[in-house]
Amino acid sequence: MANVATTNNQSKEADALSSVALLLAGAVFLLMMIAGLLMRSAQGKLIDLDPTLFYQLMTAHGAGMVGAAALSGAAIMWLFLGRHVSLNKLAFKAFLALFLLGVVLILYSIFVGGFGGGWTFLYPLPAHSGGVWETAAAATFLVGLLLVGAGFLVLYFEMGRAILVRYGNLSQALAWPLVFRGKMETVPPPTIVASTVIVIFNSVGTVVGAATLAISLINLFVPTFEIDALLAKNMIYFFGHVFINASIYMAVIGVYEILPEYTGRPWKVSRPFAIGWSAVLLFVLAVYPHHLLQDMVMPPWMLVMGQVVSYLSGLPILAVTAFAMLGYVSGSGMKWDLASALLFLGVFGWSVGVVPAIIDGIISINKVMHNTLWVPGHFHTYLLVGEVAMSFGVMAWIVRSKQDVALFSGLQRAVFWTYVVGALGFAMVFLTSGAASVPRRWAVHAPEWIMQDRIATLLGIVTLLSAVYFVTRFGSRLASGERK
Amino acid sequence: MQQHTILLVTIIIMACVALPFLFAASAAKDKGPQVGWLGYGAQRSLVAAMLVVGVAVTGISLAVWPHSVSAGPARQVVNVTGHQWYWEIEDVRLVTGSPVVFNVHTEDVNHGLGVYDADFRLIVQIQAMPGYLNQVQYTFEKPGKYRILCMEFCGVAHHDMTSEFTVSAAKS
Ligand code: HEM
Ligand SMILES: [Cu+2]
Repeated sequence: MANVATTNNQSKEADALSSVALLLAGAVFLLMMIAGLLMRSAQGKLIDLDPTLFYQLMTAHGAGMVGAAALSGAAIMWLFLGRHVSLNKLAFKAFLALFLLGVVLILYSIFVGGFGGGWTFLYPLPAHSGGVWETAAAATFLVGLLLVGAGFLVLYFEMGRAILVRYGNLSQALAWPLVFRGKMETVPPPTIVASTVIVIFNSVGTVVGAATLAISLINLFVPTFEIDALLAKNMIYFFGHVFINASIYMAVIGVYEILPEYTGRPWKVSRPFAIGWSAVLLFVLAVYPHHLLQDMVMPPWMLVMGQVVSYLSGLPILAVTAFAMLGYVSGSGMKWDLASALLFLGVFGWSVGVVPAIIDGIISINKVMHNTLWVPGHFHTYLLVGEVAMSFGVMAWIVRSKQDVALFSGLQRAVFWTYVVGALGFAMVFLTSGAASVPRRWAVHAPEWIMQDRIATLLGIVTLLSAVYFVTRFGSRLASGERK
Repeated sequence: MQQHTILLVTIIIMACVALPFLFAASAAKDKGPQVGWLGYGAQRSLVAAMLVVGVAVTGISLAVWPHSVSAGPARQVVNVTGHQWYWEIEDVRLVTGSPVVFNVHTEDVNHGLGVYDADFRLIVQIQAMPGYLNQVQYTFEKPGKYRILCMEFCGVAHHDMTSEFTVSAAKS
């Protein structure tokens, strides 16, 4: 009895920790959406923004959104992994502390130090500001990112440890007996398979990121310490790609765990599921050269790999998660509420968002699409309509109540659809602008492009307003203790 | 392929991906058999179909290596160097009809050479990277003014990194 009680208390605290992290991520989402709106309306000449400030906001928006996506993903993964293995909550507290410290340094470097070199800190730009920011500001930014990375490594280390303690070895946790022999004694749940894959690939990604940061830091203070620009670019995009993709894969765990409560059909690890996730492990690590398709000095085989794996990565997503979800949902007799609708939307946004990414992964198309607004177009689809929708869905689920299904006919449904139209529309305008050859990361837009910028601004406002509703509803229900 | 065709094809594929979501969402309320029309059989044929399409697209799109640069005598060569924040373009006379090879360098950080036509459409691009020579080839069909825009974020005046050059009609 005593044992059961402790476990319950522990899981309550794990819930509380995850909720705090999700609320924090929600607040960052909102703030950064405002930063995004400022940028978009400045491009549309609706407001006047100094380019220096524009690029600072761009750096903050990129780092902040990627950070918040990763934070919300990590909170979701922690919450549900805790159902299957025993996690030490100290690790999550250390993670949060490192994360917050990193955020403080990043904000300081941008808005006090003036750093505006982009969240990707493309070597050797941090050291060549043209007089806009000092070395110290760039260094502060890089150290801030390092701290965030260190926080994730602490978290993954603990998650990996807990999985190994429970399942003995990686092969069991990845369901490899099922992959290779078609059967195994006790099949691990989806959350374990997914978490194991994520812990492995994002640890690799984060370590590479940390190495790149360290090299860039040394270069800042010892300019004669130069590294190969192509190598640095490879490392940065490897890290960036892996890290942002991990946030989506982490959030999907929420879909695996929550939707069965609605459909009444448990999400099982089938052989295709296990194969799909093992493929993800391989593909996520191998696909990053699609960011370097316009570096013709790259070995051609790597660019071909980038193109081919971009396409292949779409298969496990669609076949293993999206189509399985559709199978579970249809004919289940489930009832929609805000939580289930947002989770469903998240998988939808992720699935449609990979389409423009795959298209842009074709080298000859990339020739005329690379670094146009097409690129923010595809990742805003699978982040804003994908990862962020999933996170909002988990938030709504945490504070769900019995009346939610009934309530989903009125205001909630209206806000949900407003978000769908706003977010999807906003991302589609990016795609359209990309097709109209508008370059990305331009503070000042040509007159020909301004109409689209203005339409996007309007859709962005609509998106922000619905997001405010999702986050404040979560926050106020949490505060009033109105849960479950 | 023109960008508008690419956009159209993309939207069509996105709509195809969206359709089953709409079906499943509207079939959620009914009580029916588990998995049903989206069973493993359907999943497997879907993956098979996607693989066939993938092989075809890969073959067609890579039949000619997109970064190939001709070594023939008919080619014209122009050196372009990126600086924070301006382009330095070698002053050579370029004509239509025979390939132009851009030799792209940078003196400081990464830049991106994007060539835009008279309709302000991006027709070709390549990165400029410290310590490397990147090359890109394009055969201009129409004489006239072409613009250059920077395609890789390079700091506070990135959007001011524009330039132009002229292509004249080849004597026939
Ligand atoms: C209402 C919501 C949003 C608005 C208005 C917005 C707006 C923008 C704008 C204007 C840009 C710069 C585009 C350019 O290159 O010219 C941008 C870039 C970006 N956005 Fe958003 N965004 C929103 C939501 C999100 C979300 C939810 C995420 C991720 C979870 C995100 C991640 C990013 C990233 C990573 C970049 C790239 C920054 C860079 O190029 O350095 N955005 N966004
Ligand atoms: Cu530039």
